[in-house]
Amino acid sequence: MKKYIVMFIAALCLASVAYAADSQIWGEMRIQNILGYGQEESWKLGPLFTMLQHKYFAWIFLGVLLGVPLVFFLHYKIVGPKVFPHSHNKHYAFNLFHRTVHQIAAVSFLVLLPTGFIIVFGDFFGGGTLVRMAKNLHGLFTIPFAIVVIPMALMWLKEALFNLEDVKWFMILGGYLSKEKQIINATQFNAGQKMWYWVAILGGITMILSGAFMFFLDFKMEMLHNITGLSQIDLLRVAAILHNVMGFAVVALFITHVYMSMFAIKGAVHSIITGYVEEEEVKILHNAWYKKLKDQGKF
Amino acid sequence: MSRMKFFCDDNRCIECFACSVACAEAHELPTGISRRKVITLFDGIEGKEVSTSIACMHCTDAPCEQVCPVDCFYIREDGIVLHDKEKCIGCGYCLYACPFGAPQFPRDGAFGAKGAMDKCTMCAGGPLETNSEKERHLYGQNRIAEGRVPMCAAVCSTNALLVGDAESVSTIYRKRVAGRGKGA
Repeated sequence: MKKYIVMFIAALCLASVAYAADSQIWGEMRIQNILGYGQEESWKLGPLFTMLQHKYFAWIFLGVLLGVPLVFFLHYKIVGPKVFPHSHNKHYAFNLFHRTVHQIAAVSFLVLLPTGFIIVFGDFFGGGTLVRMAKNLHGLFTIPFAIVVIPMALMWLKEALFNLEDVKWFMILGGYLSKEKQIINATQFNAGQKMWYWVAILGGITMILSGAFMFFLDFKMEMLHNITGLSQIDLLRVAAILHNVMGFAVVALFITHVYMSMFAIKGAVHSIITGYVEEEEVKILHNAWYKKLKDQGKF
Repeated sequence: MSRMKFFCDDNRCIECFACSVACAEAHELPTGISRRKVITLFDGIEGKEVSTSIACMHCTDAPCEQVCPVDCFYIREDGIVLHDKEKCIGCGYCLYACPFGAPQFPRDGAFGAKGAMDKCTMCAGGPLETNSEKERHLYGQNRIAEGRVPMCAAVCSTNALLVGDAESVSTIYRKRVAGRGKGA
């Protein structure tokens, strides 16, 4: 028995040596990786990533983290929230499946965002155990999000397609800039929600893929190499740049999403918790949807 | 203050891998990590084949130091680029920034998570107490503190791998080029 265990361990060790020697980063590919750095014919992604990460990324993240909430704070103080009576007529719009999928994504985001920020401002937190834990949580909580992102994309895809009404919505920014309750002719989702849907879904998938590239380092993607002509290390640089830039959009719109549901429209968050949407809220903010529901006799 | 530099004379490198093996052995590196690596260009093409040994080049404007989100790098007064493994979170940004692929990561965490970054220290250890048990365990031998040259250069049988302050490395190489009349 012991002999087999020893043999098994030896095989594992040899396999890991072979794996390491075969690595696209430290093995034979190393020459391509070195040539890829700032050479005439290359995309100069090494110097580009270094410059962006050294000078800009952390500051832009700080700007988004402080700027977006500041704008909404001013909005709350000047324009104020929209309040609807939540006592009478309600329509059951989000079933248990919708809510579960949404809540799993929500919890993942609530871990992914703060941990991401702890990594970005790692020197502020002093590095070491805390930041390392944040990095590991950041990776672990990608898994639940990765599981629900496709079902979430499919269940709301039809409602999230843009239409002509959305142009009007953008012209007046959904009526959120005025204190009075204007009737907005939006369907189940307004243009703002649609925008968040696409950033969360497409941006989310981009974040998962680029994050996975960065986590595994040695993934083999012959197809990507062939199409782009980039070496392994350059693909990792692209992943790191994409992950950060997409991060700005996801963070900004996530804060917007939370502000809208928790503060700007008082009590709107309850509709994704209980599944019920309130009549007047739907009538004013999603009039096209309201008419459809009314015709079907659902109010 | 002089700046410490590595230089590999590719006219002399015979691709024996002694530097790579000696480094891994001296510092008891984990499996799969080689801080120093010998690479060969134009392999097998007569007259063009050339071998050289590379590791961390201890850059003057080290990009790894610029991108590290936890700021774990520090550059000594003599130009040796070192980092703090206890601060490092294993994010890999230094690897993306490095032109030489020097930073490496042992896969020692759960689910294959990257451990703390490992790279050539020019045998100068780390931020811990010089020659302490812990420094040796985390960063390998601190030969510079003992006044000895790094292991890789010490074992180089053809003296291809030069190390020392930039001035003297340059003087030696210039003498060699003048002597053989080519190769600069």
